[in-house]
Amino acid sequence: MMRLRRPMAMQEAEIPTASMADISFLLIVFFMATAVFARDKGMKLAVPPKTEETKVVKLSGKKLMKISINDQGQVFVGDQPVEVSQIPDLVRQHLAETPDAVILIRTHERAPYGRMIQVFDEVRKVPEATRVALKSIRAES
Amino acid sequence: MPRLIKESKREGRVLIPTASMSDIATLLIIFFVLTTVFRKEVGLKVILPQAANTERILKSRDLANIYIDKEGRISVDDKLVDPDRIRTIFRAKYSENTALIVQIKADEQAPYGPVDKVIVALREGMRDAPQIRIVFATLPKR
Repeated sequence: MMRLRRPMAMQEAEIPTASMADISFLLIVFFMATAVFARDKGMKLAVPPKTEETKVVKLSGKKLMKISINDQGQVFVGDQPVEVSQIPDLVRQHLAETPDAVILIRTHERAPYGRMIQVFDEVRKVPEATRVALKSIRAES
Repeated sequence: MPRLIKESKREGRVLIPTASMSDIATLLIIFFVLTTVFRKEVGLKVILPQAANTERILKSRDLANIYIDKEGRISVDDKLVDPDRIRTIFRAKYSENTALIVQIKADEQAPYGPVDKVIVALREGMRDAPQIRIVFATLPKR
């Protein structure tokens, strides 16, 4: 028994820790290289909740600028067919005449969503256009 | 003055203590491990529309996703749902987190009908909120 104890007492066991930092940094590099950052991007919009107390405000005439998208994806301002690229100018014009006008984007149920985003994007190009409403047109069956 | 500087340079070798280096690195790892949020949601396969006004959404922890694919199917938390269910799901989600932001990830070819139904359902479901914050997920236009 005494003999066994001897070599133990003789030398101290050591774990080399010099390369620990390298190992850790390699791990960090690995995690950083493999990390995929989920960058959420989009267009923000705040809408009011719908409750019993929600007031229905009726707007008519110049107070309301109607932009409609039909099921083919064609865009109309009022009754006039327009190109999407014309929208910012038309909105600017309308808001110059009636500054508190609401811009209503009416989209047909079967119109492609991308089209509505295009129109919304064009309206957003006018910084004064802060009052925007979204609505859908029901498909008549 | 020049003398003094020279002398001190010659005298001792400069050593940077590296003993605590591994501790620093380990702390860094722990920090990254703890702050990592894993995305469990798979969602539906969508091609997002492009828009020039695309902004970065910074509070991604408060985001809840609604996926709408080309066929108009709606998915929340990897479950296919109909618009009526969205009302109850998001009422519960809002009571858990009042800073909730709803992100609508819809395919550019998706019909607008389901998108509108989702918005209406959100407005009815989150009725206690002063306003409902919605994000239309888009890609920046090139």
